[in-house]
Amino acid sequence: MSLGSVGRPWPQIDAVDKVRGRTRYAADMTLPGQLYGRILRSPVPHGIIRRIDTSRALKVPGVRAVITAADLPPNGPEGKGRVPFGPYVDDWEILCSDRVRYIGDEVAAVAAVSEEAAAEALELIEVEYEPLPAVFDMHEALEPGAPVLWPERPGNIASRFDIARGDLDAARRKAHLVLEERYSTNRIYHAYLEPIAVLAEAHPGDRYTLIAPTHIPYKARVTYARGLGIDPGKIRLIVPPMGGSFGAKYELNVCMIAMLLARKTGRPVKMVFDRAEDAAAGHHRPPLHFDIRLALDRDGRFLSKEVRIVATAGARTMWTPPVVATAAHRIDALYHFEAVRAEALLVYTNTSPTTCMRGFGNAEMLFAFEQMVDQAAEELGIDPVEIRKRNAVRAGDVTIHGWRIGSSALEECLDRVALLSGFSRRKPAPRHPPASGKARGLGLAIGHHVSGYRPILAEYDGSAAWVRLDMDGRLSVAVGEPDIGQGLNTVVAMIAADELGVSPSEIDVMPVDTAHSPAAVGTLGSRATIMAGAAVKAAARDFKKKLLAFAGELLGADPGELVLERGRVLWRRGGGESGEREGGPGASLTLAELGRRWAAAHTGSPLVGQGSYRPETVLPGPDKYGNPSPAYPFAAHVAEVEVDVETGAVEVVNYWAVHDSGRIINPSTATGQVQGGVAQGIGWALMEDVAIRGGRVENPNFLDYRIPGFQDVPPMTVEFVGESEPNSPTGVKSLGESALNPVLPAIANAVYNAVGVRIHDAPLTPEAVWRAIQRRREELEAAGKEREAQ
Amino acid sequence: MNRVIRINGTEWPADVPPTTPLSDFLREHAGLTGTKIGCRTGECGACTVLLDGRPVTSCLVWVARAWGRDVTTVEGLGDDQRLDPVQVAFLELNAAQCGFCIPGLLVSARALLDEAAARGWPPTALEVRERLSGHLCRCTGYQKIVEAVLKAAENGMKEMRLELG
Repeated sequence: MSLGSVGRPWPQIDAVDKVRGRTRYAADMTLPGQLYGRILRSPVPHGIIRRIDTSRALKVPGVRAVITAADLPPNGPEGKGRVPFGPYVDDWEILCSDRVRYIGDEVAAVAAVSEEAAAEALELIEVEYEPLPAVFDMHEALEPGAPVLWPERPGNIASRFDIARGDLDAARRKAHLVLEERYSTNRIYHAYLEPIAVLAEAHPGDRYTLIAPTHIPYKARVTYARGLGIDPGKIRLIVPPMGGSFGAKYELNVCMIAMLLARKTGRPVKMVFDRAEDAAAGHHRPPLHFDIRLALDRDGRFLSKEVRIVATAGARTMWTPPVVATAAHRIDALYHFEAVRAEALLVYTNTSPTTCMRGFGNAEMLFAFEQMVDQAAEELGIDPVEIRKRNAVRAGDVTIHGWRIGSSALEECLDRVALLSGFSRRKPAPRHPPASGKARGLGLAIGHHVSGYRPILAEYDGSAAWVRLDMDGRLSVAVGEPDIGQGLNTVVAMIAADELGVSPSEIDVMPVDTAHSPAAVGTLGSRATIMAGAAVKAAARDFKKKLLAFAGELLGADPGELVLERGRVLWRRGGGESGEREGGPGASLTLAELGRRWAAAHTGSPLVGQGSYRPETVLPGPDKYGNPSPAYPFAAHVAEVEVDVETGAVEVVNYWAVHDSGRIINPSTATGQVQGGVAQGIGWALMEDVAIRGGRVENPNFLDYRIPGFQDVPPMTVEFVGESEPNSPTGVKSLGESALNPVLPAIANAVYNAVGVRIHDAPLTPEAVWRAIQRRREELEAAGKEREAQ
Repeated sequence: MNRVIRINGTEWPADVPPTTPLSDFLREHAGLTGTKIGCRTGECGACTVLLDGRPVTSCLVWVARAWGRDVTTVEGLGDDQRLDPVQVAFLELNAAQCGFCIPGLLVSARALLDEAAARGWPPTALEVRERLSGHLCRCTGYQKIVEAVLKAAENGMKEMRLELG
């Protein structure tokens, strides 16, 4: 038997192309006769479009089309009229019909033979706006009398989420300590290195080909089809390699604009955002505001938790509703509570629409809650590790909402990260912030996530995969989940390779293309490795069964006496395996030969194994009780920071992350996931903040919106603990999002430990930390004077 | 001046408007799309190429500045038969995730390693972080990139010592 690849560090199967510059991202592609598309965006945050005149723009040499809302095809009932549509709330328009709602809203679009001609035409489109009062802050948007963005949704409420379970009064009556705290997280930019880029072609019969990076091709085309008033099957969506996304490139208006420009001109249209456009009118992580009341008993056990959340949708609703729902109750699968209640509002403002980003609301709630856990531990005199162990879920537990924890090595994560980081050297936080110099502190936080989340789109439950052998002996695997750069294709190739007795490098993983991939919801909710991996494993087994049966026929052998290893089928016999003749023990057939002979025997058909995986979950009903994910990953992180007391600048000097993600398929890419997640968390915690003034994004570039660079991220120690997950056919759980989730609170807890001030509002900029230190000093001084006076 | 650029050792006619960004010339005229455009303002480093051996952000370099000079892009490192040691190290250590920033990083790393070879001692981790700080990466957290450059340096130095010995 070969050793197998699973569990060993393996280079990404497409790494040769990546290091040679041969990976072809959307912007690298050119279609014959292609035009360049550009979008005219609203310069006002809120207003009525009184007039649009495109005549001068159309006269620019090389301009082939200018479209406005008047050019949109009908998408209403029975193919009549225009109606709003959207993935969660029907508040999308492809181009604004009569009203603009944020600086960047899509008003018109141009296709031209060159980028320069398109840019020139944009400047010549005349639009007259009648300004309307605008609202930029989510709290102000909730006030009576605030400007209303969508008259059919009064009060600016885009969506809400409510959940309650257990007897709050009874739980609260037992309280020894009640903490009431307010926390907030900020708007950040996904800041992938590849700006949004798409190509579209229109074909007769309302059909389209769209080349667009997306996590969710099959779901995205449903939204696009609704916008265009056509059947989803008319859109062929090809997913090219993606230069980063982190949640932003799910479903994008620009795809439909490109399709309409292609339809209007009869030519392929390529649209590439420039960085400023991408950063201002691409999409952002939503700001969240938390009011949390946590009741604990004398031993630090959590009794009740009440949460109120307000979040910003921006001018229309993208993927933020499930983010807010996650923020409201996913923490209940990390800790036990006797009673919980949460209400969450998603609010319109005249700002760039927000959407999901890695961590999906869970990271935000953990920023708040993991700081409160430290606050409680300090007040009750309990060790931070111990209070978490006392309250955390364990393997076999059923949570308050019915979520079933199949495996958890969270205690091991905690013990291990404490050992690695020397957490016992942590001193109590100083009562007085140090007067000068640099102060060091250690901070702990834990986190978790799901491994796929069934309620997101219950109609696409699970995954399917195909394993195929062609007549030339080529093995390939098809799944419906795009590789988003994290190395999914490598992981599925490794799983298939081990089942088939070949090297992962001998397996091609097909690009996701709705014309011939298995349908799936896609790569989101930390689901791809567990779902696609399990489907590939099942497909490989089906394939192997068919292959051995066929080989058995050819060799005259019982398939039970045949083995598949090292790229061939061998007729086993006691001890030896030599001999190449057909028809007796020791005989063998290579995959190339089997592929050729199968195709010959089946009039050219490839040999295809099919497999699928439907996870053992329970779709939560209207009462939100159920078990939405087959598995739950856990992590414990420790950050060590150095705070410059005079400037408030925080530097992360050491970082340790220990994860329970079940079985690890590829330790090398898994470690890379954690390192990348921690780096993103460091950026969010300390550096990143989308600045919006009067509705305008003021820092839409990498100079003013700084993401961590080489010198902002310390060396990190990453380890994995835990066993194979029993509810997962491959033993894996998930990792992508749990890598980021604990980072912000670990850093915030470390800052508190260093200087004794707790920062409630992310990010922890030098100014925020400096101000908190000054405030703390003033409080202490005032308290001192009061004591003297007494 | 002769409107020719030697790209990866091959002479390319570059008779385009002199203010054409070198990055656009490479991608659209020379067909070398390995060089990526991430910002067009010189802030992300994705478009980095070597101009006479020194890293430049090609989105900010006019094509006229490259006339008569040598340009090395990621396509000039290694070939179908043999990868550059720095490509091998990036590949083996999974220093690339989405890969978009990698072409620029690789040519910068090549320049750094060439300098190190010339002076005779390998770079330190701190030096690698400092020298590559003009490049942004959103996926990896940089650690594997640093490790890959150090590994490539070590392998390069070993080869050099063997040659000398």
